[in-house]
Amino acid sequence: MKKIFVTLAILALAAAGGFGQGVIKIGAHWPLADQGSVEASKAAQLAVDEINRAGGVVGKQLQLIVVDDEGNGAKGVAALERLVNVDKVDVLFGGYASGVEAAMIPSLKKYGIVTVATGAASSVVENGLGPSPGSDFYFHLHPWDYDQGMSYAQGWKDIQAKYPNVKIRKIFLAYEEGPFGKSSWEGIKSQYGDGYEYDGASFKSALMGGSDYSGVIQAAKDFGPDLFIWAGYAPDALPLQQQAKAMNFNPPIFLGAPPAWPADIGSSPLTENVMSYGMWASGLNDKNAQSKKFYEAYQKAYGVAPTSYFAPLSYSGIYILAAAIEKAGGVQKDKLIAALEQTRYVSPLGETITFSPSNVIKHQGIRHQKILQWQNGKQQIIWPFDYSTTTPVFPKPAWE
Amino acid sequence: MQMKRKTIVPTTSSTRALVAGSAGLVVAIAIFLWKPTVLVYGLQRAGLYAAIAIPMALVLGIVHIVNLSHGEFMMVAAYLTYFAAKLLGLDPLVAMVPVSIVMSVFGFAVYRLTIRRALRAPELNQLILTFGLGIALSQSINLLFTSQSWNLSLDYVTSSATVGNYSFGTYDFVFVVAAIVFAGGLRLFLTRTRMGKAALAVGQNPRGAAIVGIDVDRAYAFVFSLSVGLIGLMGALFLTKQAIFPTVGGPYTMKSFCLVAMAGVGNITGVLWGSLALGLAEVAMTNVRALRDWSSIVFFVIIIATILVRAIRERKA
Repeated sequence: MKKIFVTLAILALAAAGGFGQGVIKIGAHWPLADQGSVEASKAAQLAVDEINRAGGVVGKQLQLIVVDDEGNGAKGVAALERLVNVDKVDVLFGGYASGVEAAMIPSLKKYGIVTVATGAASSVVENGLGPSPGSDFYFHLHPWDYDQGMSYAQGWKDIQAKYPNVKIRKIFLAYEEGPFGKSSWEGIKSQYGDGYEYDGASFKSALMGGSDYSGVIQAAKDFGPDLFIWAGYAPDALPLQQQAKAMNFNPPIFLGAPPAWPADIGSSPLTENVMSYGMWASGLNDKNAQSKKFYEAYQKAYGVAPTSYFAPLSYSGIYILAAAIEKAGGVQKDKLIAALEQTRYVSPLGETITFSPSNVIKHQGIRHQKILQWQNGKQQIIWPFDYSTTTPVFPKPAWE
Repeated sequence: MQMKRKTIVPTTSSTRALVAGSAGLVVAIAIFLWKPTVLVYGLQRAGLYAAIAIPMALVLGIVHIVNLSHGEFMMVAAYLTYFAAKLLGLDPLVAMVPVSIVMSVFGFAVYRLTIRRALRAPELNQLILTFGLGIALSQSINLLFTSQSWNLSLDYVTSSATVGNYSFGTYDFVFVVAAIVFAGGLRLFLTRTRMGKAALAVGQNPRGAAIVGIDVDRAYAFVFSLSVGLIGLMGALFLTKQAIFPTVGGPYTMKSFCLVAMAGVGNITGVLWGSLALGLAEVAMTNVRALRDWSSIVFFVIIIATILVRAIRERKA
């Protein structure tokens, strides 16, 4: 009996070892209570499944191990420690909140494992990572905050040049009173430039227990902007639009800039012709085969359509990583870094993703956002014109 | 036959009420002349705060327990209403009745399983219990439905009126109506019905009530269920205007607790006045450019000031 037990144990260990040798482990972290992160995680798994079905990478299967960082810095660090020391992952992936990523920087630098990051827009993270060569292991896909601000300023400049009826002289920002809103207010003033007249006012986000936007809307009405931007969170979207309608506030451009939108916001008549910032819109499916392929595959796998740009971004990240591992012949750090540097990936987001130096780090992926508009219940891309799927509706018609 | 003439001597409390009322009227006129929308939105916000806080005041006044899961019950009701709207096609204003009934039953179950067992425990234990209940509710919803916010897009919530150059939303007066109905309805219930009088007696003196034959446990269960049923109504109303997500109830638990603390134990009228003061102050500050960022703080400043004044008065007495 004892002999049988020992034999079985040896066989099991051999099998486990064999399995471990045939697997490349990708360790990812996201706040899984957030819908955008859930979609990112699912999209990453979709990419892994597709790659494995096609034979894997360098003869091995990919294994995605996801740990919930709960949107908390300390939990993010714990997630990283677990992925590295317990799960013994080969590469790191994912990320969403800047605060969590910032907390993880010391540990990321300590281990120096090749990391493809999907989140973290704040340049605080970039400054924490520091310049090359100390941060060369880190490949950042999401645009930094200053990238985003500059792209919006360029976008509005290009739109006004192409569509002479679009005239923007006065910009009003309604911003939530926390760090996200305040940094948006400071960013707009510094990045949009001197050609505009600015005003702004803060509000308490519904996410923090607020429920009334009358103060900011009245201030905006008094200012009379051409472009009204609100920077808050998803729960603010519809109530703000409802209150704007009730107060008869209808600027030529009404634009929302939350990190994510409510799932069914597009179905509200009030959202018609509202603009937003983002990296992807489902309207791109009509123009871009990669977007359509990803969208349909996601829908088939999970029964629902993706709503957040984090889904195609995360999907792209896995394919980028897989291609680099294939090129490098494995996960050896220096070879993998060299292979990632040569990335040219045609993504479902529309652009071809490459890595180039940003203000601080050496490996920055996407450098801009897009300007979107809801038209007929579907989000369409207005700018950049290379990816645009429609022309802008300007001025915004009366609230429906 | 000589009729005895009744001489009405104005009491100190009625003088105070007259003075307070007059001052309030002057303030209201001043606000209206400055910015009519401040008065409108201040009243509406006051209505929202009061309607949510009144059920908590009821439980504190009768059962003598602070329900720190109060906002989470509202959140659960809002989710139930959302599903009633999406799956059954019921408008929230219709769904609020069955949701309220379901919530009452849920409240009864929660009382029997948890609250009842902690009534004789130290107050800290009671606070921890209800706090834990709140976390359990919000985390359960989070696990089931994620943290993504959900909305209903309803035409009637954007109804508006125009006075001069000012346009303002009128739908939110529904919260004012709800607060008045809750306050008035509870007053009638507690003073005119047998169950209400029994509950009032239990709230004032549970031991004495038990001695005269009132079933104290039954009164507590009824009041707790009624409170959860009322907050269930508010959950449905809340959904008509606000996005819902698992932690949406937390800030309202805190505000309700502060309002109830400010008004005094079981003082529903005090909750109304407190809500009015806070609603107007908050909205007024958001309309003054230099004070916008301070509007959240005014809430706590008023509460701290009220509690300090009360403490000083009690000390003098």
